Amino acid sequence: MGDRYSALAVVFGVVSFALGVLVLPAAGQHIQSADATATTVASPVAHTPWGDPDLQGIWDFRTITPLQRPDDLVDKTVFTPEEAAEYEAARVASLHKDQRVEDGLELETDVAYAYNHFWWDYGDTLVEDRRTSLIVDPPDGRIPPLTPAGQLREAQRREARSRPAHGPEDRSVWERCIVGGNAGPPITPSAYNNNVQLLQAPGVVVIFNEMIHDARVVPIDGSAHLPDDIRQWRGDPRGRWEGETLVVESTNFNGKTAFRGSGAGLRLEERFTRVGDDRLLYQFTIDDPTSFTKPWTAVIPMKATEGPIFEYACHEGNYGLVNLLAGARAQDAEVAALATREPQ
Amino acid sequence: MPMRARGNGMLLVLAAVAIAGLLVTTEQALGAEQSYEPPRTADDRPDLNGIWQALGSAHWNIEGHAAQPGPVVALGAIGAIPGGLGVVEGGSIPYQPWAVAQKQENSENWVTADPVVKCYMPGVPRATYMPFPFQIVQTPDHVLITYEFASSSRIIYMSQPDFESPFDTWMGHSRGHWEGDTLVVDVTAQVGDTWFDSAGNFHSNALHVIERYTPISPNALRYEVVIEDPNVFTRAWTMSMPLYRRLDENVQLLEFKCVEFVEELLYGHLRKDPVR
Amino acid sequence: MRIRSATDVPYDRWQIEDCTIRRMRVVVGLGISLLLMLTTVPVVAHHAFAAEFDANKPLSLTGTVTKMEWINPHAWIHVEVTREDGTVEQWMIEGGTPNTLFRRGITRDSLIPGTTIVIDGYQAKDGSFKANGRSLTLEGGEELFLGSSGTGAPRDGTDPVERRRPPG
Repeated sequence: MGDRYSALAVVFGVVSFALGVLVLPAAGQHIQSADATATTVASPVAHTPWGDPDLQGIWDFRTITPLQRPDDLVDKTVFTPEEAAEYEAARVASLHKDQRVEDGLELETDVAYAYNHFWWDYGDTLVEDRRTSLIVDPPDGRIPPLTPAGQLREAQRREARSRPAHGPEDRSVWERCIVGGNAGPPITPSAYNNNVQLLQAPGVVVIFNEMIHDARVVPIDGSAHLPDDIRQWRGDPRGRWEGETLVVESTNFNGKTAFRGSGAGLRLEERFTRVGDDRLLYQFTIDDPTSFTKPWTAVIPMKATEGPIFEYACHEGNYGLVNLLAGARAQDAEVAALATREPQ
Repeated sequence: MPMRARGNGMLLVLAAVAIAGLLVTTEQALGAEQSYEPPRTADDRPDLNGIWQALGSAHWNIEGHAAQPGPVVALGAIGAIPGGLGVVEGGSIPYQPWAVAQKQENSENWVTADPVVKCYMPGVPRATYMPFPFQIVQTPDHVLITYEFASSSRIIYMSQPDFESPFDTWMGHSRGHWEGDTLVVDVTAQVGDTWFDSAGNFHSNALHVIERYTPISPNALRYEVVIEDPNVFTRAWTMSMPLYRRLDENVQLLEFKCVEFVEELLYGHLRKDPVR
Repeated sequence: MRIRSATDVPYDRWQIEDCTIRRMRVVVGLGISLLLMLTTVPVVAHHAFAAEFDANKPLSLTGTVTKMEWINPHAWIHVEVTREDGTVEQWMIEGGTPNTLFRRGITRDSLIPGTTIVIDGYQAKDGSFKANGRSLTLEGGEELFLGSSGTGAPRDGTDPVERRRPPG
């Protein structure tokens, strides 16, 4: 119970901090009177002609703030400004260093680093409120432990990834170009293409992620979710407005996306709030009792960007998966050849 | 005037009135289509929001064709190809001589060569008439069209006429504007790998497509497409068809993420233990 | 300080946080150990690459660009390599997502065919003429796509890798 209150306090604190830091400096805005509900955004947010809050734009969600708090920072929820500056500088320096085996890197790691740093685009800054993790609940900033069922699924997944792939099913859904890594849902920052475009028409909001050309159409018409036996990779979203916040609830997941260990029991809640002309606050809560011992929540600020969203036509050019499987078969052949040569 | 002459005169008048009446009604009927007033968006444009779908067999073959057997014997009648009147104005596509041979080769090898069989995005205009619904979400500056097939999507840029694409894409680069009640979309920078149908009708990466979407009734649009490709055709040509609003209660696009369905086709030969 | 190898980390965790965090030793208190920070490495990696390319087949190639496939999930540069004995080989070199480059002003015309590039990488596990472009440079040592024309610089024709102003 105490955990729940402190978690709520953290979430409230983060949102308030974000609103205070990001909204107040904007010229000509004023805080609503104390009578107003505490959950409303304290500034006149633009509305669409039909009266919904206007969240439209292309949003950049790059950040070097990790999803989970580093092991060493157990109870440290926020960096001081000096610590944040040092962390950013050091991180940017290490990311741009393009380290190679000459710098002490192991060979396998060098291969896995893939290519020069100019292909990467994870951003240079921590989130503006200097949190040490994007996860705000649980208060330790870490994904809660998996349930036994969740652990079993993860163990199977790890096993499949650790050996030469037997087939495409052994690889991740984004290596197979089925759904994009950072688009989820939920949306999480990654190494590149951290862009999403929001569009609105009466009764509908579209969440259009760059990876993998994923347009999630969210009805805001009070309609019911799909029947329970229709399951989808991205689930089935329905939206509603709570004050100035768009709340999107998704159910009917097929479980194969396995976001951070989640399964088909996932209920996802996402919240989008415009907190300034060029700022959008995105929050998601993972609720999947079949996978996690408790729900967890992360908050990710997004900045307006000119864009555009470029086409990310993954499957059409997926030489990588072919090469990966061909490499696995070559490895198998090598192993088989060695076995026949060895004296019995 | 003699009795007979008066009778003939009356007949003539009646005939004239009847013909005039017919002409007026016909004109009204045509005029009704042309003067259909669609509901309008907040920015006073025809409202194209909604879920739409084409009917017919253009996705099989955009030229007129009789029904024919399909490539998979086990699928019997379900896998056979229905006939179609064709959607190409004038009947046939004006290929350059070399391209006629290429189309023939495509047609003979379509099962292995058709990109859509592999779940590749269909490009424009084929995405419009695939046998799957698509959804238009319309804003003043951006019109999004998302297609159920392979989760293909594109954004039509309504206020950036000078925006050029830095690379070629499967769904092309779309810039739109309004001409009266018609949404006109100019599509360029599409890869040369998409086809127009499963019959092997093709183009190069010099393809230039001009689409026109015009509401003609509450639940139908007229869709007209001009195709230009100086590498492949002797002149520009046009296709057209109606697009119908999906009226099912609670209709929504479902996922058709077909990548999973073609993995055996594309990667089966690289499996450790072959399925077949 | 032992540097973790790619095989230590979960294969589906190519996003920055899990891998990176176990390496980042941020000392709480009056200061952060920058030395530690700088000597640790971000294990932001394409673990799939460890499955595609062979750590035991490092290579260095110099060749001329014949074409570039500006595609996702990875761009591919086609390069013609002439060996010392005169054999000509056609190689495919894997890069990253071109979208990152497009956002910096690069276009499909930026890498001019005939440009000589130097590739430092690892060969495909199946022995084919494919490699990952672990490091791509021009002959003079400049990194590819970060040539002398900076973002927004006018095209002057002297840089074999030229950019245009980002679109929009």
